[in-house]
Amino acid sequence: MPRLDPSVVGRSSRLRARGAETIGRALHIIRTRHGSFTVGGGIFLAIVSALILSPWLSPYDPNAQELLQRLSSPSTQHWLGTDQFGRDVLSRLLIGGRFSVTVAAATIALSVIFGTILGVLCARAGGMVDEVTMRIVDLLIAFPDVLVALFLIALIGPGHVALIAALTVVGWTPFARMARSLALEINAKDYIMAAEVLGCSRSFIIFRHVIPNAYRPIAAITFLRFGHKLITVGALSFLGLGVQPPNSDWGAMLADALRFVERAPLLAFSPGFAIFITALAVTLIGQGLEAEVKPRKDQRESILGTESPSEGEETMKA
Amino acid sequence: MWTFILRRLVVMFVALVLVSVLAFLIPYMSGPEPTEMIIHSRVANLAIDQDTIDKMRIHLGLNRPLAIQYLDWLGDAIQGDFGFSFADRESVSVHIRTSIMVSITLALSALGLALVVALPLGAVAALKPGRRIDTFITFLTQSLVAIPEYWVAPFATLVFSVSLGWLPSAGWRGPEYVVLPALALALRPMAYFTRVTRAAMIDVLEAPYITAALSRGLGIGRTILRHGIRNAMPPVITLFAMWLAGLIGGAVVIEVIFSIPGMGRLLYEAVVNKDIPMIQGAIVCLVSFAILMSTLTDLMYVALNPTVGITDASA
Repeated sequence: MPRLDPSVVGRSSRLRARGAETIGRALHIIRTRHGSFTVGGGIFLAIVSALILSPWLSPYDPNAQELLQRLSSPSTQHWLGTDQFGRDVLSRLLIGGRFSVTVAAATIALSVIFGTILGVLCARAGGMVDEVTMRIVDLLIAFPDVLVALFLIALIGPGHVALIAALTVVGWTPFARMARSLALEINAKDYIMAAEVLGCSRSFIIFRHVIPNAYRPIAAITFLRFGHKLITVGALSFLGLGVQPPNSDWGAMLADALRFVERAPLLAFSPGFAIFITALAVTLIGQGLEAEVKPRKDQRESILGTESPSEGEETMKA
Repeated sequence: MWTFILRRLVVMFVALVLVSVLAFLIPYMSGPEPTEMIIHSRVANLAIDQDTIDKMRIHLGLNRPLAIQYLDWLGDAIQGDFGFSFADRESVSVHIRTSIMVSITLALSALGLALVVALPLGAVAALKPGRRIDTFITFLTQSLVAIPEYWVAPFATLVFSVSLGWLPSAGWRGPEYVVLPALALALRPMAYFTRVTRAAMIDVLEAPYITAALSRGLGIGRTILRHGIRNAMPPVITLFAMWLAGLIGGAVVIEVIFSIPGMGRLLYEAVVNKDIPMIQGAIVCLVSFAILMSTLTDLMYVALNPTVGITDASA
């Protein structure tokens, strides 16, 4: 039996232990609220600035074809290789991402504005307005957004307008519900009563006091929903119902690349990975913000988990 | 409680009527005039004179007031008659009946798979909140939520059907055809189920009856199985119902990738081919299903916990 050198054994297990510790610590940084926010925010900022600066950053014209270089694998000239027409994949990813992220961001922005204002109005108005709106929310909250998108596309034809409209129609509900419950809470506070006594108008109170105090939890859902919208936008473009040719986005690039997936797997891998990493980044930001909102719950509960289903529904719904 | 149930049912009824009106109006809001559209669906693009169109309009009853046409259409729709597909002249309801079974099978398999993985993961994370295993599971669920299923599916096919040849890559002819699409669909619900299980379990584990069970000498494994998981179930079930409504008809991309003849692909192809009767039928069925599911979930909640109706009415 060969004798093991105890120092070697010790070193390797120590190394392994240290490795596990490093990974554990890295995961823990992501887990804690500031860490999650910082890591997600960093990645997201990098992606967004790359997309904004893409006309200057792109190494090639995204539509320039080099037919001799078709489906080439990554090289020093083409970092991510080329597609079936010999176009530079990295440049196309940078340009395509602008559509994906812009459409998702527009959807989310419209949903937040519409949902928040409606939710706050409901809380202040009460009565029938509140009742009717909240029942609509109840119904829409479980709707598959792809379904509504297909319905609208059947009505007004494919394109990013139909896409943004469809995703907004289903997208505003969690914001309305959240804004309403926050506003009800805030309305009961003394400073609102003080403002009322001072004779401030209703809209002044809403915009000066209620919305500024409700924005953090809303910002958290905004980012969490953003990732989901990004994936849905990609899905519809993948089906050819989103961004229309000659423009292209990540979903459409992925669909185009699938025909060559056996010859050039990386071609199909990269646009999907782009969607994934962007969605992951905004999810991390959202969870960081959410943990900030309820610090004590950080250990026990995250945005997706929930104590009472009616409260957490808006975020656990896909 | 009864007013809550009644109110919920009224909402459901109003929503169903609204959806049916919208679906009825699809042919009037999109593309060419309905009579011409029907004629073209039968004779392709032959030129047709105005006289024939007028005769056809009277023949089809499309010259009647819209409200009468709507009631007529609704009467047929309630009996399951949505007319005939423009694409293959087959009855729309027959198409829908076969597709919906496929979609239900797919959705249930995916959600079952998701639950089988998520319940143990959530329970393990809940047992050691804040520890390394919990951190890892949290990170895993964060990543799963961000994965586009149409990105994973082609690569899973590449590995399991093209390279290894274990599973078929597309189609719907037997149980082995369910595996890959269900796997791709299961990832995101899996993440959400894990999160909800974890949160619910942490709450349950703090309850006195768990301490009581443990102090009676019941093993930790048994305690979790008999008391923990069971009491953590209600939120998981709600989520399950929501996902079920979402995946039937919402699994469009996966159904297209794997050529599965489900509701999602049926609607997608109808939209692409501008097959109006099919779009109407599919939309009405899917949306009614989603509305029914959300109403049922709410009612189930009241049945399980009678205070729900009271708080909801006062809030």
